[in-house]
Amino acid sequence: MAFSSKHRRYLSLVAAWSAGLCVFLAACGKSEQEGAPAAPEVEDRQSVGVSLLTMQHQFYQELRRGLEDAAKEAGLRLVIVSAEFDPTRQANQVDEFIVRKVAAIVVCPCDSRSVGASIVAANQAGIPVFTADIANNSSLGKVVSHIASDNVAGGKEAAKLLAAAVGGRGSVAILSHPEVASVSDRVKGFKEQIASYPEIRVAAELSAEGKRDKAVKVMEDLLQAHPDLAGAFAINDDTALGALAAIESAGKAGRIQIVGYDATPEAREKIAKRVIYGDVIQNPRRIGELTIRAIADFFAGRTPPAVIPVEVGVFTGDQRNP
Amino acid sequence: MTRVRSVVVAWLVAGRMPVILGALLITSSVLTDGRFLRIENLVNVMRQISFEGLIAFGMTFVIVTGGIDLSVGSLVALTGVAAALAMQSLAEADPAVRVAVGFATALIVGTSTGAAAGAIIARFAIPPFIATLATMLVARGAAFILCDGQPVHELPGELMWWGRGFVLEPVLGQRLPAPVLIMLASYAVLLVVFRRTVFGRRVVAVGSNEQAAYLSGIPVRATKMAVYVLTGLLCGLAGVLHDAKLMAGDPKVGEMWELNVIAAVVVGGTSLFGGRGTVTGTLIGAIIIGVLNNSLNLMEVEHFWQKVVLGLVILAASLLDAALRRLEPQ
Repeated sequence: MAFSSKHRRYLSLVAAWSAGLCVFLAACGKSEQEGAPAAPEVEDRQSVGVSLLTMQHQFYQELRRGLEDAAKEAGLRLVIVSAEFDPTRQANQVDEFIVRKVAAIVVCPCDSRSVGASIVAANQAGIPVFTADIANNSSLGKVVSHIASDNVAGGKEAAKLLAAAVGGRGSVAILSHPEVASVSDRVKGFKEQIASYPEIRVAAELSAEGKRDKAVKVMEDLLQAHPDLAGAFAINDDTALGALAAIESAGKAGRIQIVGYDATPEAREKIAKRVIYGDVIQNPRRIGELTIRAIADFFAGRTPPAVIPVEVGVFTGDQRNP
Repeated sequence: MTRVRSVVVAWLVAGRMPVILGALLITSSVLTDGRFLRIENLVNVMRQISFEGLIAFGMTFVIVTGGIDLSVGSLVALTGVAAALAMQSLAEADPAVRVAVGFATALIVGTSTGAAAGAIIARFAIPPFIATLATMLVARGAAFILCDGQPVHELPGELMWWGRGFVLEPVLGQRLPAPVLIMLASYAVLLVVFRRTVFGRRVVAVGSNEQAAYLSGIPVRATKMAVYVLTGLLCGLAGVLHDAKLMAGDPKVGEMWELNVIAAVVVGGTSLFGGRGTVTGTLIGAIIIGVLNNSLNLMEVEHFWQKVVLGLVILAASLLDAALRRLEPQ
């Protein structure tokens, strides 16, 4: 059997593909390794593995920046990966950190209950674990410190904002995401505080899964079910912006007040235009900084507190002050 | 000269999967400064692929009949949650009994859902894509409904060994994770089933030419249904093992697994048009994808670039496979 020209064309195509890919892979590897010392094993033992919930949300991009800036100052090397909401991928990432024998692991859990077994595995390998933003609520595993916003206080602030927005009366809705513990805390704080306004009623509590497209649909349904709705508390800004889109396309802009959470730049614009009333602000960068500080404390032989709450604030633009 | 060439070509064609895998292993080792080759890391890679690998063997049977099963990821979530709830409800019972009940529940739920999808496909001639799209949605929703959206985590401590433990640890050390042994055992059994049993040959016959298979007296409907039952069973097994890995029955798991599993099968050389495929190819395909994910992580390639690289490599592997197959003497 000899090569036909067709065969030869195919072989050369494949060869070109493979060669291109090797170069590409090498380039990926190189750009990450530049400037790093040559002994990777030692390097891993001095580095901190970070498994983020996602890199797609601005909140986590800010948190990451906080981690990176503080780590540079503290002289720590970070290995940052993201689980993108997949608990399985997160478990695999923690396993990989354990194999690499990193000095400490930071987890922003995809799920507060499903993260336990991974923390146990790290504990068994003698690697200290820190959680940031979302806590480990399973009965398994030991965490050195949990660094997160004071979400119950944040929920209360949101209730105060929304009460002011609707003038202390009417029915309001909660667009929640109950799978996430920090969100449950926000909703808990919100309900506690809103109960102190006798003329405000919580008409509905529905999950928009923290996603904008889902929030549009949920808000559309709410507008049908509760035509008298006066306001809504959205547990994050993606949800708030989704709800706003639904309200605007229903021609009810300005008649239903929204309070969001996080004050992303896009939400700030809407607040400046007065279509979102206001936001509770977390300080993700600060969460990152305090996480690194806790790790540095731990390495220095001190015992950081088990829970490190990070203060929240409110953002209503310059023109108003609640 | 021509003779030598044809020998080389014949060898390349027959051994194309190991060649692709070998090239990837060498590239990975070099690019990670040997970190990839450390035994702990290799054990870890095998453990990571064991869950999806298990399902990929069943998917090979499905795809060889010319079908597809989109419900596998959701089914892992559903069987995992169902097993976790069963184990949780028996809080007072002996731990060994609880674990056994967990396995039984997952396997029953997996097989029956697979049977339902298979029956719809075989009896009503609904395209497998649509039928399993339906079961995918139903199973995912059911998983969330069963546990009210909250992962079930009051599980017996003895379960953890099945997801994170090692077989014969005193003798072998931490070399053979329990889920890897289960995957390799399933591989061995299904390899024999595929190549040496009447059922295995019927699967190929149905996928090669359904009409001819029917006219030859092969029970086409029963064969089609059986492959979905098999995949459902393996999803149940993966579901309960995954409970053990996370020590929680989480309704969110298995997102996109259907595509990862199909990718492993196709990279392994099985034709999406049916009639042609191997179980061994699927094992190698799963390892290729696992190795790739792992070495990209070890190289600390940025998350979004990883997706790009993974997509390109799947494409390159398929092209290489297609090109080498074209050289095969007819």
